[in-house]
Amino acid sequence: MGFIAESLATSAALIVSLDPEVFATVTTSLAVSSCAIVLAAVIGVPTGVAVGLHDFPLKRAVITLLNTLMAMPTVVVGLLLYGILSRQGPMGPLGLLFTPSAMVIGQTLLAVPIVANYTVGVVQGADPRILPTALTLGASPLQGVLQLVRQVRFGIIAALIAGFGRIIAEVGVAMMLGGNIRGYTRTMTTAIALETSKGEFAFGLALGMILMAVALVINLFLNTLQQR
Amino acid sequence: MTSIYDIHDLTVAFGGRTVLDVHRLAIGTGRLHILTGANGAGKSTLLSLLAFLTPPTSGKVAFDNAPVPWGSPSLFRLRRQVTLMHQFPYLFSGSVFDNVAYGLEVRGMAAAEQRHRVAEALAQTSLTGFERRNALKLSGGEVRRVAMARALALRPRVLLLDEPLANVDHETARLLEELIATLPKQGICVIMTTHEPNHADRLGGRTIHLVSGRVVQADGAAEGPEPVAIAAAPVHRIAATVSTL
Repeated sequence: MGFIAESLATSAALIVSLDPEVFATVTTSLAVSSCAIVLAAVIGVPTGVAVGLHDFPLKRAVITLLNTLMAMPTVVVGLLLYGILSRQGPMGPLGLLFTPSAMVIGQTLLAVPIVANYTVGVVQGADPRILPTALTLGASPLQGVLQLVRQVRFGIIAALIAGFGRIIAEVGVAMMLGGNIRGYTRTMTTAIALETSKGEFAFGLALGMILMAVALVINLFLNTLQQR
Repeated sequence: MTSIYDIHDLTVAFGGRTVLDVHRLAIGTGRLHILTGANGAGKSTLLSLLAFLTPPTSGKVAFDNAPVPWGSPSLFRLRRQVTLMHQFPYLFSGSVFDNVAYGLEVRGMAAAEQRHRVAEALAQTSLTGFERRNALKLSGGEVRRVAMARALALRPRVLLLDEPLANVDHETARLLEELIATLPKQGICVIMTTHEPNHADRLGGRTIHLVSGRVVQADGAAEGPEPVAIAAAPVHRIAATVSTL
């Protein structure tokens, strides 16, 4: 019990003193995951809107695929991308492996199915009068779809937050594609795994507390949105 | 006067079931046309078709003597001459002003002109001062009036009203009824559905009666430019013309 209390005190001190290593790790985590969620939004929201609005022969298959991809283990995504980005892989010459860019690519692939799938649900659950109302008021098809997105924006923001929650907390992609390089690709999750294995429990605990705080903020934001 | 809509051999089917089957129907400009019929007679489907929101399964629809380009990306340009007020109107989140100005905004109208048109439409519907009100916190009658203002602000050539007088308080019904009666004088072709048989008499409109998706009666049809055949039920492919005179 004394060990836990002592570690908690040390970790609190690390956070309060803005320890440079803790700060760098948190910054890398937030930067990589933020870039990834922006890219996932650019790909996933239009995909979800298109799938949600249109009926086409393979629609059920596409939704099943998105559901499956949502549950894909992060290490599997990391492994596949490792093969593609490693020196012998097709994208090896780009030299992306063990860079933040590789982590962004991996986390984007993790987040896209979540964002797209949630967006499909939001669009399918939207009031069926929205689009006809916009169209009969003179909206072009694109203007009509944009109005639909505006009306269901809180649901789409919730989808993005769910995606962000998944990638900020993942460890497989960050470890395999980032390589956990100190001050460069080390994220909160990879640092927790490493520092704990080295016996630096307090350091890991400090990062864990910050990660929990991020999760708390995300959930508070989600709750606020749901109440609107 | 010419017809604004000309319908020939039209059918609309959903899931293999034909819900509208009209051999011939011409609808004239600047008049009030009242669509009557029981629930499921095809009134709302016909309005949706006339609003260019539901394409026909077969047959031809002409607007202003030109065939309607169903499925074309440019269909929205035609849609901008017509507007449909749903039986249960959907108001977008935002203010009353945002809602009434939406159709003007998508047309790229200047902000000053938008404000003028919105103020005018709100005055017509006795909603002056409602501009900043939250559209999602209005009563049922106010929602109907905002939807009417939103349609009137566009100054459409054709105004399609799906049960505009149903499920509203007496005061709102009276206001809307008086407003609807004045619109044809402004050159707007109004086509409204109703269950009330006396609306045609009160509003001075012509009646198009639908039974099981077919036109079985069109008052004043004899004045139309085309010969008219109106049969009693059971009817097969009834021909009817609603004149514009």
